[in-house]
Amino acid sequence: MRGFRSGFRLQLSFFRNYPDSLIPLLTAPLFTVVFTMVLRHGGRGDLSGYAMIAPFYMSLWWFAIFNGGWVIQTERWEGTIEYLVAAPVGFVSVIVGRISTMLLAGAVAFGEVWVFGRYVLRTNVTIHHPYVFTASLVLTLIAMTTTSLFMANLFVLSRTAVTFSNSASYPVYLLGGILVPIALLPGWLQPATNIVFLSWSSKLLRGSLSAGPIQGAAFDLSMIALLAVVALGLATAFMSRILRHARSSGELALR
Amino acid sequence: MMSSLRVMRYSVLSGAYDYTSIYTWKSWLGGWLVRVMSQVTFFALIGRLLGANQQIWFLLVGNAIMIAAMEGVFALNMVSWERSTGTLPLIAASPTSPVLVLASHGVYLVVDGTVSALGALFLLGPVFGLPLPWPRVLLIIPLTILIAASAYSLGTFLGGVVLGFRGLNSVVVNVGIVALMALCGVNVPLDAYPGPIAWVSRFLPITHGLIAVRDVLAGDLGAAGLQALAEAGVATGWLVLCVLTFGRFVQRGRRNGSLEFAT
Repeated sequence: MRGFRSGFRLQLSFFRNYPDSLIPLLTAPLFTVVFTMVLRHGGRGDLSGYAMIAPFYMSLWWFAIFNGGWVIQTERWEGTIEYLVAAPVGFVSVIVGRISTMLLAGAVAFGEVWVFGRYVLRTNVTIHHPYVFTASLVLTLIAMTTTSLFMANLFVLSRTAVTFSNSASYPVYLLGGILVPIALLPGWLQPATNIVFLSWSSKLLRGSLSAGPIQGAAFDLSMIALLAVVALGLATAFMSRILRHARSSGELALR
Repeated sequence: MMSSLRVMRYSVLSGAYDYTSIYTWKSWLGGWLVRVMSQVTFFALIGRLLGANQQIWFLLVGNAIMIAAMEGVFALNMVSWERSTGTLPLIAASPTSPVLVLASHGVYLVVDGTVSALGALFLLGPVFGLPLPWPRVLLIIPLTILIAASAYSLGTFLGGVVLGFRGLNSVVVNVGIVALMALCGVNVPLDAYPGPIAWVSRFLPITHGLIAVRDVLAGDLGAAGLQALAEAGVATGWLVLCVLTFGRFVQRGRRNGSLEFAT
């Protein structure tokens, strides 16, 4: 637990000292403006809630990739990973602690977009299903944290991590249906959305803003939880592989 | 003059070599182009949500051309890349003007931005039923180059502004791109903006060029020509501002030592 707390505090100090680690908090309101303008200009001001949800997911993804996803790899680049592994406190607990700041960053991003939309853009949004809304929001933050942990390990093993992290954003937004419902995607693409937890989450968050009943909410919540657990399982497996390889080769930093 | 051209040539070539170390053609097609296509599709689908072909096409054209401007703004990264490789102080100390080197080094961004934007427009246009009237659609090619160059001028100017503030580079790139997306008629027509914002947008890259592209598609070539001239004026303005100020920013960096150790 000490390692977790230290990792958490360390990552918070990165947020404080590096303004570029908080980029999503600056771009999210601008994206909210863009989406709100498009929807209002298109005569669908009633969908303005969509314009507040999408920038939240965009911020969350950015934090997951560029803060969480690069946590282990930057330790290798900086040559500090050996000290971290050799320290008496557990390596995994520090990494998990650092990546868990995602929960906080995501919650701040959500609050920011919500306040901006409600009070600056005067968007009239009502949460008709508060329990489903809260449950899906919490599960989404947890799932994004485990996904980020998975990516942090994947990036160590992959040679194309930089390309992936620069390129994955909009494909994920599309498959996650973060602004436009999955039903509007081409039919051949829709099955692929099932393995992206954002698709289940965005459906629920949008559904919570509609007065009508939400069909299959329990199933959708289960799917977010399941995909979060799968990401955690893969992250654990990859982490074991990385550490096993490090012990056998005696190398942790980049060659 | 010949010496400057030689420096620019080597700088352009060096940038092109850098780019080949970032992407192979496989990672460009499978990574970058997929991202670009997804980005444009993401916005075009909002039009489908709104239920009108005109909306889909407006968003598709705007966001496809926006890719060229986005890559132009990436010119801001030139300064931080030079700094991270330790060559920025050397460029500042050399007898050649730093702006000449830094402004030439990223020319590949104009090429890549143009190819990416046109790729998205011409591949996704038919998918969404966008009419691309032949042969006047070819006029969109030089217009896209102009837009990319215009945004590149702005990006290089901003690169000079943030020269002494290392931590702000990524912030300005990301916020700058979304601001252009929000202000320049990419997603809604200019008349949907409040008056002062529409006025400001006329001095930013992409605004006039994008109207010209839309005019070409609508068949109003006279109006397109005038808008293209306005975009060229904006590009020239940012380039002149960049050339006039860059030296001062470098001098400031030499004076306070922020070229290498800026925070």
